[in-house]
Amino acid sequence: MRKLLAVICSLFAALFTIKAQTPQTYISLVMNRFDKVKDYAADIKINFNLPGVNLTPVAGSVFYKAPDKFRVKTKGVVFLPKQSPHFALSLLRDSTAYTAVSSGSEIIAGVPCIIVNVIPNAETDLILGKLWIDPSRGLILKSQLTTRSGGTVLIDNYFGPLWTHALPDRIVFTVDMARFKVPKALAVDINTRTSKPQSTPGTGTIELQFSNYRMNQHLSDKVFTEE
Amino acid sequence: MLNLIGIELYKILKKPRTYIGFAAIAIIVLVVELSFYADGKQYLDFVLQSLRQHFVIQGEILNGSLMCFVILQMLIVQMPLLVALVAGDLISGEASTGTVRMLLSKPYTRSQIFFAKYVAGSVYTFALILWLGALALGIGIALFGTGDLLVLKSDELVVIKAEDVWWRFSAALLMAFVSLSVVTSFSLMLSCFSDNSITPIVATMSVIIIFTIIGALEIPMLEKFKSLLFTTHMVIWRNFFDNPLPMRQIVSSVVILLGHIVLFLIIAHRHFVRKDILN
Repeated sequence: MRKLLAVICSLFAALFTIKAQTPQTYISLVMNRFDKVKDYAADIKINFNLPGVNLTPVAGSVFYKAPDKFRVKTKGVVFLPKQSPHFALSLLRDSTAYTAVSSGSEIIAGVPCIIVNVIPNAETDLILGKLWIDPSRGLILKSQLTTRSGGTVLIDNYFGPLWTHALPDRIVFTVDMARFKVPKALAVDINTRTSKPQSTPGTGTIELQFSNYRMNQHLSDKVFTEE
Repeated sequence: MLNLIGIELYKILKKPRTYIGFAAIAIIVLVVELSFYADGKQYLDFVLQSLRQHFVIQGEILNGSLMCFVILQMLIVQMPLLVALVAGDLISGEASTGTVRMLLSKPYTRSQIFFAKYVAGSVYTFALILWLGALALGIGIALFGTGDLLVLKSDELVVIKAEDVWWRFSAALLMAFVSLSVVTSFSLMLSCFSDNSITPIVATMSVIIIFTIIGALEIPMLEKFKSLLFTTHMVIWRNFFDNPLPMRQIVSSVVILLGHIVLFLIIAHRHFVRKDILN
């Protein structure tokens, strides 16, 4: 009961703050935090849960350099989301490139968040971005991006000790997708028993777990281009 | 006994039909590998287009492991014919040429002669599988390099790590050998009942085609019957590319396949040792 009251009070407090500030202010809060990161390298573990795709977790390294260079290096075949985890932040960097509209509030994992819709002013890959911003810490806890190239993707950010730099410990990408299916003739799948459900729509998730962040070490551009 | 097996192997080696299988495999492997070398990327793009809508697939998908898997899938359907060509001729061929009487006059028991023929037929089957695997993987690696294996199934896509690929291929080829040994024993059994080599070869292929068609029909009434057909279990080699390994299914299929081999050999042996040689 006490916990519920605390949540309601913090929600009201957040709502009063929301009324006082514009969506752009919240975005600036987020950007100020992330702007402290010029580049980073980290270890990454990727877990997959995609309908019709059986892929064991993969470990590797991840590199980022401002404003928008991002690369995941792993051994072997790996499926990655089309958008980098900092895709939305790259767009938000230029405040004249988009229009931000506040569209209410919601509690995400017990944290009161304000919802900001972002509409690019020019024609970009992003059509619409919906951001759930924690106004007290200046962090995007959740975002829903609708893009031309990859449809709609939901991104959940989970922060750890490096929340001060807006660097998450864990990011979960959720994508609406149909179960992967190959025509029998193409798969040369003669005389096999199919026990798994057929093409049913579902959601696929890719979870990126970050660890051992090394920040602002002046990463070379070569990291993002070499084979 | 070893001497007898050696003689039987020599007979197999002396027949031109023995090399048809090896030549056919070499041609098909070359054609498939070169076709993929030219257009493989477009083919994979087409197969994976639904996934590429949402994801970036990083890493080299088109590699020697994938080529070997694709070729195994394609050829495993045709391999029984190549096996039947030789195994179906082992006893009936001698009967048609009239040498079986001379063979049985040697100081060996009929059982020894029968099992020497079966072992020789199995050695040929093993050599054929080994040739297929070595050629598919060897040319594949030479043209496309190594890497993780993308197993394309009609209802699932499995990615096998490069370090796991070798033992899985070895196990799958061994399993394919067990499967084709059923065909060897079946052809040998029919060969015991015939005085010409065409009948057992054609009969073997007819049975395999009928069983394969029944196996492909998705009719509930046939479901229980399907699990008794050896052709249903002949594709079990593919299960070595599942993650995790369906061990129960693999073991049950191996037991059923071995059961078929023993059954066919008992019938064949029983008939051969009691056969009245008239020509």
